[in-house]
Amino acid sequence: MNKVVRLLLPVALCLMATVGFSGCKGGASSGGGTQPSALADEPNVTFKDLQGNSVPLSGFKGKVLLVNFWGTWCEPCRGEIPILIRLQQNYSGKGFTLLGVATNDDVSAVGPFVHNTQFNVDGKQETMNYPIVMGSDDISTKFGGLLGMPTSYLINRDGKIVKRYIGSLNEAQIVKDVESQL
Amino acid sequence: MRLARKFWYLSGLCTLMVILSGGIALATHATAQDASAPKSALEVVKAHSYVSLDPVPRGKDFQIAVVVNIESGYHMNSHKPSDSYLIATTLTPQLPAGFTLVDTMYPAGRNEKFPFSPDKPLNVYSGSVTLKMKLTAQDAAPIGSTTIPITLRYQACNNSACLPPVKVPVSAQLQVAAAGASAHAVHPEIFSAGASQEK
Repeated sequence: MNKVVRLLLPVALCLMATVGFSGCKGGASSGGGTQPSALADEPNVTFKDLQGNSVPLSGFKGKVLLVNFWGTWCEPCRGEIPILIRLQQNYSGKGFTLLGVATNDDVSAVGPFVHNTQFNVDGKQETMNYPIVMGSDDISTKFGGLLGMPTSYLINRDGKIVKRYIGSLNEAQIVKDVESQL
Repeated sequence: MRLARKFWYLSGLCTLMVILSGGIALATHATAQDASAPKSALEVVKAHSYVSLDPVPRGKDFQIAVVVNIESGYHMNSHKPSDSYLIATTLTPQLPAGFTLVDTMYPAGRNEKFPFSPDKPLNVYSGSVTLKMKLTAQDAAPIGSTTIPITLRYQACNNSACLPPVKVPVSAQLQVAAAGASAHAVHPEIFSAGASQEK
């Protein structure tokens, strides 16, 4: 009996410790997104729109918000724009909105891009149909620093960050996540 | 008494095992996360400069090569990217008095498709590429040790995300000698006619 206890107890404790640590959540991932272990408050930031008007993030409280950091120079950011247009088309009437934050970019490049660039969305040519604002290093830092572009943050109606997505969005996953917040 | 000693022995052993196994699990977890997270633009691209002559006599042409090593799994736009909105790789020297830039030579990129651009190939650099500049040391170039500051601008991506465009300082060190001084060709693996600009 004594020998059995001596052998099994450390093994059992090892297993418990391993399971406990490997259950840690948080940090960076790509595609499917990362859920923080505790919901963080959205940062207190104010953007400028393409006309130079102030757009406080807090002004979106009460809506489910997907903040998408992107750039005209970023090919994967461009690649996911049809998904974002479709999200806005399908959910903007249900208490959801997208907010595109142009980062490492110049308003003189972003304005014409937003108004003129056509994207193939389900066989139709569409332009970006959601609000676009300009980002800055300070804004990126307040969001915790951008590890790559695109990076998106899903924020619930109470202004809490629910999930972070680094890299191209998985459409099925983001639809599921948005619907879960509506 | 003997029982108490056994209890403490077992407790100590268990505590040690918990700490060790927890530490290993935590380290494994952190490594797995790091592998999936994009790195910084400065981490994925390393640049080193080389000068073709030592010393460089006044009045002579010489070359500076910037060898750029791009981490596996990443690429950066070539000097002539597929679209005008993409940020091209460029070398810009800040020439001190006495030097002129004759030409900058960029290798051709490779057309590659990526998961985020499955239909449209992008013209990119990956692996190791060598960018070169041809310069002239004029008669007014200061004799002795000189540094030529150079700015490498690039924008790198992996298969799912892009890193912000960056400008990285790369400096070239050279010795300038009097006109007619004997000069040795150095780094033939980079500057000889047959040396590859891309690996």
